[in-house]
Amino acid sequence: MDYFSNIPTHMDYDGQGRSEKLSRIIITLFGVVGLVWGFIIQQFSATVYVLGAGFLLAGILTIPPWPMYRRKPLNWQKPRPAPREEGSETQKPKKKK
Amino acid sequence: MHSVFGRGNAMAAYTLSVLAGLTFCCFLSTVFLDYRTPAVINTRQVVVKSIPDYSASREKNDLGYVTFDLKTDLTHLFNWNVKQLFLYVTAEYQTQSNQFNQVVLWDKIILRGENAVIDLKNIHAKYYFWDDGNGLRGHKNVTLTLSWNIIPNAGLLPNVGAIGSHSFAFPPEYTTSKV
Repeated sequence: MDYFSNIPTHMDYDGQGRSEKLSRIIITLFGVVGLVWGFIIQQFSATVYVLGAGFLLAGILTIPPWPMYRRKPLNWQKPRPAPREEGSETQKPKKKK
Repeated sequence: MHSVFGRGNAMAAYTLSVLAGLTFCCFLSTVFLDYRTPAVINTRQVVVKSIPDYSASREKNDLGYVTFDLKTDLTHLFNWNVKQLFLYVTAEYQTQSNQFNQVVLWDKIILRGENAVIDLKNIHAKYYFWDDGNGLRGHKNVTLTLSWNIIPNAGLLPNVGAIGSHSFAFPPEYTTSKV
């Protein structure tokens, strides 16, 4: 079970941005190519099919959280050690223990 | 876009927006085309009868009986934004009771990919040529025209008239024999 729960399923912020940008580029490109192709062969259904192919390709490339979208993890700051000043309220219960 | 469903949803929405834009481009590419084309119509047999119109008043009205030839080539009208043509032949004439009469005599649907070269000889009207009175007997100027309605993938549904028409006259006597 540990193996499955350790599979990373997230994208980092930069990866999310890049995946959306990539999907839009792919779909737009297939749409334009499909429009030109459909106009050449005078068949609008061809345009729709080419756009559908672009949708599938973009879906494969940008919907699953591939490792390429996980290259810039956030630089979390190290947890600060709790301040050990005598006046602080939070420390008092610990001292009583 | 942090989840699979979020990304899938955004992609589907964007794809549909793109599809709408492409469809609009398809409409733009054909909206200014000229769909008129010549057609030749000739009448063969023209008779007029006076019989009761049971579908309306039961009074005796004029019923025209026309057979005609129709020749035209509509192949070049089809493009990526034309799914089918609805052809119809109308008779137009003026009577004393009506400034403008228009009767559809015949129609035909041509799907894209079907044979659009039309050369029909001596075809019978599909629909009754009733006048709403006695205006047909001896009428000097009845005009047959071919028109078509373009059914597109996206955009307008224009009614286009063929270039060319045919005018004919009805005989001055009613026919009593069976035709």
